[in-house]
Amino acid sequence: RYVRQLQRLQLLFSPTAADARGARQFVEEAAQDFARQHPDVVLYVSPHSGPGPAPVLRAEYLNGTVREELIASKTSEEIVQLATKLANQSGLDIIRIRKPFHTDNPSVQGQWHPLTNKPSILNVQGPRLQPQ
Amino acid sequence: MVVLSAARWVRSRLSDRFWRVQEVLKYARHFRGRRNRCYKLAVRSVRRAFVRSTKARKEKKRFLRALWITRIEAASLEHGLKYPAFISNLVKSQVELNRKVLADLAIYEPKTFKSLAALAQRRRQEGFLAALGDGKEPEGIFSRIVHHH
Repeated sequence: RYVRQLQRLQLLFSPTAADARGARQFVEEAAQDFARQHPDVVLYVSPHSGPGPAPVLRAEYLNGTVREELIASKTSEEIVQLATKLANQSGLDIIRIRKPFHTDNPSVQGQWHPLTNKPSILNVQGPRLQPQ
Repeated sequence: MVVLSAARWVRSRLSDRFWRVQEVLKYARHFRGRRNRCYKLAVRSVRRAFVRSTKARKEKKRFLRALWITRIEAASLEHGLKYPAFISNLVKSQVELNRKVLADLAIYEPKTFKSLAALAQRRRQEGFLAALGDGKEPEGIFSRIVHHH
């Protein structure tokens, strides 16, 4: 069954700043619909009064990664799209994947070592081997 | 910040030069010498590094194929077969394994690779019998071809 990797979304913005207008519109109009459509994500809306840092949408994932996206001077629709994008991501880092495959047990028959195809007499150590 | 008249344009100065420089230097941090510190030298080195990395994508395929072939050759020589004989006989026995998979088998599944080498050897012997025997002996078992329709 699908488990959504996004744990919580924190909307940090100031109620008076000019660039947080999109965030305020989002909170007024689309935040409730978004929260209803994604019932397993917790949406926190925390306005900090007065001039403060830029409005930011902080996403925390189940594996602990925290991703912050600036929402300054964005419209409400763009914030909705951004939030859905964050909700569909997992918390893995966004870097180039070196290999598209991974195994924990790569070898079933035992990995090759220089003595695999040699006669096993080479591996025997002990008093039996000493010449009489 | 597009300013229309020339006089005003001259007076506005660049304020985020630091970040524009850092955008380039962050790709040069692991270089040697002054190229990882000085912007003028780093720009040229970073551009060449990017060009080389795009061109190397084609060569990576060639390089990896050569690596696989070396490994398969070493593994088949351990079992007494040379690489061209091994590959050609596997293909004739309708075993369509590519070199990547064969190299991985040789490393991680040595017994499977030994059995593949034995199969190739048997097919080789049957090929010799069919070519030299000329005639009344029945065809080899491993030389039979399966037709998929």
